[in-house]
This record gives sequence, C-alpha cells and structure tokens, in this order.
Amino acid sequence: MQALEHQGGEAMASGSGGGRALTMSEFASRARERADNYHRYHIEALDTPDRQPLPNRFLVKVGKVGLAKFIISELFQYWGKWDVITSRPCTYGVFSGPVGGFSPRPHLCVGCLRCTVQHPEFTTVEHNPERAAMGDRFLSQKLIETIDEEARKGSVPVRGQGYRGRFGGPGWDGMFTDMSEIVRPSRDGIHGRELIGTSVDIGGKPMRLQFDSDGDLVGEGPRMLTIQVPFLFDAPPKMVASPLLTRIWKGAAESVDTLAMFPAETVRKLAIAGHNVVPIIPVSEASTAGGFGNGTQLVELDSWDEAAFTTACTAAPDVIVGVRLDFDAGWQAKLTEMVDSGVTVIHLVADNHGNGDGGRFAMDLIKEAHISLLESGKRDMVTLLGTGGVAAADHLPKAIIVGLDAVGLDLPLLIALQGRPTGDLSQRDTLRIKMPRKLDEEWGIQRLTNLSCSWRDQMLEILGAMGIREVRRLRGEMGRAMWCNQLEEEAFADIEGFVGGEY
Amino acid sequence: MAISKDPVKPSDTLIHKTTNLMQNGLNSHAFGEYGSPNALGDARWTDELILATWYMAETGKVPDDLNYKTGKSGGGFDRLDFKFLSESEWVADPESIVTSIPLNRRNDHRKQLTPSIPIYGGGMSYGSVSVNVMMARAKNAEKWNTYMSTGEGGYPLDLYAHKDHVITQVATGYFGVEEKTIQAAPIVEFKYAQGAKPGLGGHLLASKAGDEVAKMRGSVPFVSLFSPFPFHSTYSVEDHSKHIDWIETVNPDALIAVKVSTPHDVDMVAVGSYYAGAHIIHLDGSYGGTGAAPEIAKKNIAMPIELALPKVHKFLIKEGVRDKITLIASGGVRTADDIAKAIALGADGVVLGTSDLVAMGCTRCGNCEGGPSGRGCPWGLTTTDVELQEWVQQDWAVERLDNYYTAVMWRIKDILSKLGLNDVKELVGRTDLLRYTAGED
Repeated sequence: MQALEHQGGEAMASGSGGGRALTMSEFASRARERADNYHRYHIEALDTPDRQPLPNRFLVKVGKVGLAKFIISELFQYWGKWDVITSRPCTYGVFSGPVGGFSPRPHLCVGCLRCTVQHPEFTTVEHNPERAAMGDRFLSQKLIETIDEEARKGSVPVRGQGYRGRFGGPGWDGMFTDMSEIVRPSRDGIHGRELIGTSVDIGGKPMRLQFDSDGDLVGEGPRMLTIQVPFLFDAPPKMVASPLLTRIWKGAAESVDTLAMFPAETVRKLAIAGHNVVPIIPVSEASTAGGFGNGTQLVELDSWDEAAFTTACTAAPDVIVGVRLDFDAGWQAKLTEMVDSGVTVIHLVADNHGNGDGGRFAMDLIKEAHISLLESGKRDMVTLLGTGGVAAADHLPKAIIVGLDAVGLDLPLLIALQGRPTGDLSQRDTLRIKMPRKLDEEWGIQRLTNLSCSWRDQMLEILGAMGIREVRRLRGEMGRAMWCNQLEEEAFADIEGFVGGEY
Repeated sequence: MAISKDPVKPSDTLIHKTTNLMQNGLNSHAFGEYGSPNALGDARWTDELILATWYMAETGKVPDDLNYKTGKSGGGFDRLDFKFLSESEWVADPESIVTSIPLNRRNDHRKQLTPSIPIYGGGMSYGSVSVNVMMARAKNAEKWNTYMSTGEGGYPLDLYAHKDHVITQVATGYFGVEEKTIQAAPIVEFKYAQGAKPGLGGHLLASKAGDEVAKMRGSVPFVSLFSPFPFHSTYSVEDHSKHIDWIETVNPDALIAVKVSTPHDVDMVAVGSYYAGAHIIHLDGSYGGTGAAPEIAKKNIAMPIELALPKVHKFLIKEGVRDKITLIASGGVRTADDIAKAIALGADGVVLGTSDLVAMGCTRCGNCEGGPSGRGCPWGLTTTDVELQEWVQQDWAVERLDNYYTAVMWRIKDILSKLGLNDVKELVGRTDLLRYTAGED
C-alpha cells in the first residue's frame, strides 16, 4: 500500500494520506499508531466451576465391617507406627474425609482402582450408571464430559495413556487428520501456534476486480464480514430459548468476536440487534430484513425462496443476506439455484446428529456441496456455513476440511451451560434438555467463552501438526485428511475375508 | 492443583505394607479371586486383557480363561487373525524357532546388533516414569538381550551399568543429550514425532518436573518442560542426514534409529530416512501411549499403526531398499498376537511401552500426567514423587517384566509354530497368513 517515493529530497510515502503524499515522519507516526493499537487475538479463559456437577464418574463402596476389621488388625500389627496405620490407598482424598473410608467421597475418585486392587475384600469401584446414561447415541457420555470440562477450564483436555476408543468408526471418527514431520506454521516450534490465524470471512466476493480508466473500482467489491474463529453460535432450540439464554449467547459471541443467531422475532422483542447478532427471518417476512440496524451485518432467511431473497436484498442493501438450506431431499438443486441467484452466504443445516438427506451424514453432504461448487467454478463466490452434527472439538476442523468455511454450534453450547439432555436429541424441535436453575448471565458467558477458547486451541493443535498457518487454508483441504475406510482398503485388501466399506 | 514440593520418603514399614497389599491385590485379581473390577478396561485394553497381562507377569504363562490376544476396538489388530495350519504341519519343537532379528542391514562399518527377540522397549523418559521403572526395563532388556530407550529426559547414572542395552534418545528438546550419553549407546534414536501426539512435541507438566528431573534436564524445578516440534535444525532429508553425521562423529559404532509418526506420506518419510543413513525406521502409530497428550491428538492426528505398516513395507520393497533397513512398529501394540500381526503386516519387530507398564500394575487410569493430585501415577509408575515411586520396587518389577516377556515369547513361538515357520523373519510381510474377521465389538 505505502510505496515510498522521493520528493524534494525527503522520503515520502503515498497511499494513505488522503491524496497527499505523507512525509516519512508522518508515515512512521501512523505506522507506530497502528502497531500500538494492534492486539493479538486472544480468548480470555477463566476457571468457571460447574453449577450442577455431573453425576460422579464412579461409585465407591466400602464394606464397613471389612474396613473395621482391617483397621483393628493394623492397629495391632503396627501400633505406634502412625504413618503406616493412617496411610490410605488413595492419593486423591477419597478416603481422607472426617471418618475416612467409612464415608468415602466418590466425587474425588479418578478410577485408578488402587483401593479395590489393594483391598478387594471390602472395596469396590464401579462406573456410575447415572453418568453412563447421559446423552444419546450421537452425543455420548464421553462428549458431554469433555464439553463440560472444556467449558469449566477453557483449556485443551490433556491425559496420560493412549487412545481408548474404537478403531476408526462412523462419521467424523472415520477421518484422521494429517501431520507433517518437519513443516510447521513457524520455526518457533510449539510457540508457533499463536501465529496461526483462525479468522474467516463471511460473504461474497467477485472473482476479479474491475477498474475504469481512472483507476476507480467498477461494480461491486467484496462484501464480507470477518469473525475471529471459524464457528458461530446458531439459534438455541425453541424448547429452551429464553431472554437469559439469548443474552448469554450474545454476550459470549461478543466476547469471542463471532456471531450469534436468533429468530428475528427475538431480536426485535429483546432489542438486541448489533454487529454480532444475526436475525433469522422467515421468508414471509423478507421485507423486514432492513429493519434491524444498530450495526447488523448479516441476516439469514430461514429457507430458500428466490422472490423473498430478492425482497430481502432490496430491503437491506447494506446487509449481507444469507439463506439457510436444510439437507432435505432435493437440496442439491436448491443449492445450484441459490448460487445462480446471487446468494453469497449459504447455511447448510443437518439435524443434531448430523443426518440429512436419505440418512446421509453431514460429512458426506458437506463434501458433496463443496465439490459441486468447485466443479461449477463458483466455490469462492460463496461462504458455506453448516450446523448439525458438530459436538466435539475434533469435528470442527473436520467439517472445515470437507468444505465448510465456518461451523454453527448449538447443542454443544447448551451442554457447556450444563443443560441435561434426555432421550433422543436428533431433532431440534423436539429435543428435551433441562437447563440448570442457577443459570446466570456472567457465568454462562464465561462458560461459552471457555468452550470457544478450548475448541480454538484444539484447532490450533490440528493446524499446527499439519503445518497450516491459517484456518482459511484448511477449507476443503481433503488431501490433508485420511479416511479410515480408504486406508483399510489400501492396507488390508489382500487379506482374506476383508470386505471393507463398513463405515 | 496441589504440587507436592515437599514429599516425604515413606518408611520401610510403610513401603513393605503398601507394596505387599498392591502386589497381592494384583495377583488375586489376575487369578480371578475377586472377578474383574467393574471400572477396569476400555475398548483397546479390555479388562480381560489387563488381567491377562497381570497373570502373565505373575506366572510367565498365558491364562486359560482370559482373552490375552485381542481387545474390542472393532478394527485393526482386533479384526485380524491367523490362518493356522492343521496340527500335523506345526513346527514340532517350538523352542527351536529363531526369534532374533538383525538391526543393522546396511552392512556398513557399524556394529551388528541382533536382539534375541523381535521386541525392544520404547522411550519413556526419566520424569515421565520413575528411576525404578527405568531400571527395571533396562535390567529386563539385558536379560532378554534386547534394548530399551531412555526417552527424552536424560540418563540416570544407574543406567550406565546396563548401557549396552540402553538406547539414547535424541529429541527436539535435547533434554539429557550429552556426549557421554551418545557415546554410551549401541543405538541412538532420533525422535521426530510421537504417535499419541504427532506434530505437537513433548510436554512434561510442572508437577512432575521435580528437583531430580530438573537437574537431569538442566532446568528449574517445577516448571513445565516443552520439547518443541520439530527439530529446529531439520528442514529436509539432507538436514536429517547431517544429524546422523553428527552422531557418527561422536559415536561411530552406534546404529541410528529414526522414530516418526504415521502421516499420509509416512512411506516417503521412511525412504527418506533410509537415504539419510538410518538403520532403523521406527513407526509410532496414532493409538500409542503417552505420559501426557491432548485428547484430540490421540484419536485424530495421523493413522493407526496397522494401516501404516503395509504402506511403508510395500513402498520400501518398491524402492528396492526393504532388505537394507529395519522396520520397527509401535503405537497400540499390546499383545503377543499384536506383535505377530504387526510383523505379518510388514514390520521386522516391535517396540512395547504400555504393555510393560500394565505388566507392572498399570490400570490405564490415565492420570500419568499428574492427575488431580498433581503427583502422577498412584501406582508409582509414571511419577517421580518421592513417596509414590517407592510403590514399584525394582526387583519385583524386573521379575514381572521377565515373566511377561516369557509368556509373550511363548505365544509368539506358538503362533509361528502353528503357521509352520521356523524363524520370525519368515513372517515379515506375510499378509497371506492373516484373515480378516467379523471381530468382537
């Protein structure tokens, strides 16, 4: 931008002085000002304890008679050696309450099993069935526990020992991300992660800029907004929506510098329009698209209707108008029509389990959408958002790898706020989830901020391992993904009995 | 997190009492006296597999009534089985079966090392585990004429007595790497990456970096220690080759092992390592063990070892260098059956880590990184806490490992016998001897 030039013997800079060339000292001064105002993007995570702790992981049972006998025998055997008599088989304090093992404290148990191995005759440690019953077939107990920890601490979950789960698996589990042995985002090793960019642009841009003979731009330039993380907060399900939840959603979106989506009716009723708020407008009310103001940057129509889209664009010429597209039968034709009609932000929606058209999983559907746009040469003209089936930190980069620009979150946010789901959670309209009674705004905003921080940091781990400097470069980078079923075909094809194609 | 800065060494009586209770408890469970603890095990290491490992570590034999062969992960090793011959075609004397493997296939001026078994011990650093655990593994390696790796954390003085069986690891933080530790080593292992956290470097949490660990690593006590990723001096195969030249200058006799993870291009990495001068390419699959790793990395980054091995084995053959380099597999190799399957998929041998710990009493509770107590493993394995590390007594641990390896080697010979093979080297890459099964979910 600032090309240096000489004028009257003094170094000058041009391009940012309102037509007048800047002196070198002015240029330096402005550069200093910009540098002083620069701040590296950062999410402030704070320890935010649970308001209603999850059921204990383990049930610890101690036979009181057996324990009493043991203590008596120890007293006789080790009389005077109090360090021996008072020693406990637990380093976590399960048996260190006022009456020791007679009233164990199972909330402290981490399942090391030392107590039950050392004293099998009177101690047992069992999985808590109440905890095991949390969630459903997609949003598993493990995912709920992990989200809860992420929202509580805001850090990357770290554990000892290796992976414990099934080999590969369906859906996102069937994808591995690549790594590089020597290529890094920077040469600073682990510290290079902080230089990885996670901002994404939402909106449309022409494939080329055109200028007239005076050098002025002809036609429209890019119309985009930028969010600092490749995810946004999609509208909470109707069953749990409330003014308090809305304020938490909005407050957290502001804290993280992303977007929060709400039904237009809610935005109007609570007067919460703002640059981080995205009203979702029914197509029947498309003409109201321009009425939100207060810095609104993006609105979404709740479904595809060409006339409604035109109406919304006319009503809100300064606002980006996106359109939601459910992955129902026939979505492919609608997608093509939408792009041809000039929609630049398309929000693909699967159910909470990530299922869409014909029971296909979001990973395959997103991939199909992305590839179809690539093949028609229009991928870079639109932004693809997607909601549904993303319930863990690893799902996020995987959804981007198969083609999304940014991911909409809803269910994980409710879990972060310690909502307790029951029954099948696949459908937004019917899911049952009980929010905690002690929900308050400050706590809720910090919990969602923590979750955002944790998921962003985990995304940095994935990007760092790949040697990718910014998340925008991850979009559609399927060459950096490995699919378990393809690898199995390659590895086991010549082994008797191998059929493949299981996932 | 409570950090134990003033730990107290337990009295002899307390050590005696606690170790007795723990050891008796492990045995009573291994023999089924109290059934399987409800909360023990997971899909990869089932309760039966852990109990079977304890049984083998106690008796030196495989159990009759526990599945000691596979887990329930629903894929990989757990879906593979052997196509055994009819009994009349078995090797008559399984004890005569050869299980040694040559590690130097380049026929250069360096030593020819031939461990008696196709197994050596993976790197677990001082700091991530206690001296007692390190020493037990070194002594066991000597007993079985094989090796164990220091990991990246230095070389405790006691290890020098077993230096001919100790691999010195050089990793990106260069913790504990000294001229004398390079000169002492029969094998020097470059760790480029670790399967459980590929591309993320290493991390010893502050709570485990106590006085002795910090001294060994040239650091400050109770400060987190990071091994960055990658080697800052390595941008290419040529740079890697310079690394190897550096080691050769310091120790001209040492073999060079290169430990890498399993990315998409792992086959190219293996060939590159060969041309850089490596004797051993060590692939560490994504389901491997760790003292501390982000959960997201364990499951998602890079591929499981079962999928990487055939890829690398076949590519090395295609490039015409398979017989000039030793291919070692690790990362999710749990049992004798896994070892034989890994070899049939293309490895020459394997590296064990977690199995050693389970043999010494690990329940895989996953609190190696410190856990809520900040003190590390409550069993005394992955900790340097002055009290907790006493729960693993060296002599007992050596005996457990020796027994476990006895049972493992019995089973490997049993498999080879039933396949009609007289030498473990004949099994390398023999996928025709494997069958893919419906598995057990």
